[in-house]
Amino acid sequence: MSSRRSRSRQSGSSRITDEQISDLVSKLQDLLPEARLRSNDRMPSSRVLQETCDYIRNLHREVDDLSERLSELLATSDMSSAQAAIIRSLLM
Amino acid sequence: MRGPCNNTMAFKRGFLGSLLVSLQSSKATMSLEERKRAIKSSADVAMATARGVAGARWPQAILSSSSSSPSKMQAKVKRCKNIVRRCCHKRRRDGNGTSFFARTALNRSTEVARRLVKKRTKVLRRMIPGGELLDEISLLHEAMDYVVHLHAEVDVLRLVSKALQRSNASSERFASTAQLKEGTVQVSGESENPC
Repeated sequence: MSSRRSRSRQSGSSRITDEQISDLVSKLQDLLPEARLRSNDRMPSSRVLQETCDYIRNLHREVDDLSERLSELLATSDMSSAQAAIIRSLLM
Repeated sequence: MRGPCNNTMAFKRGFLGSLLVSLQSSKATMSLEERKRAIKSSADVAMATARGVAGARWPQAILSSSSSSPSKMQAKVKRCKNIVRRCCHKRRRDGNGTSFFARTALNRSTEVARRLVKKRTKVLRRMIPGGELLDEISLLHEAMDYVVHLHAEVDVLRLVSKALQRSNASSERFASTAQLKEGTVQVSGESENPC
């Protein structure tokens, strides 16, 4: 049974409740792309951690690919301020 | 969790702003690889700056590791981190053993499950800037925050990439149309409406 101890203020001894952690793991699961498929099924925390690592790894790879792409696109000409203004307006 | 759409939008705008500034100063004269590295590091810094250092560790971790770092500095930072990690790791081991991941596992506390969780926590630490020094609760918070902002970063990078692609394509067409008009280029069969 989980003990309902509140989180201690003292540094070092953190009375972490099980609910706190499983709540966090659950929230983390909801952020993962697979979460939409699983809706309310809770994954074991090891699985959530695995998926999170995979997800971050994929995102890092995408950033890498996109940086490469941008590097190619900018190879022919520097970005003009006109182009920058246009791109910026896309998010406004 | 941090606020929903609003915060992400503000972050994206801030990120885009910083990114565009650094992209404008990247020179076409660089090599492809150099420019790619410059873009990546600008994106990292832009992401960290746009997020701000309040409420999360990873932005500061990114900024510290990228500030004017020649490789010597980076090696130094890495060494420090290793040292701190060893100290923290030792502390964690000696500690109250109240580590959730050591005590339980949501899927019944088998030794295998515990080991798995421990192993994956270690991996997760490495993937998040500044993750090495965090306790489990903070690590989970950081992971959520980092994932959200990474995703937003990818969205913006994609947007910029598409926009540049279109812009390049249309300026190429414009240039070749102009050349056709001046008669400096043989007709290559490209029939575009002049804008």
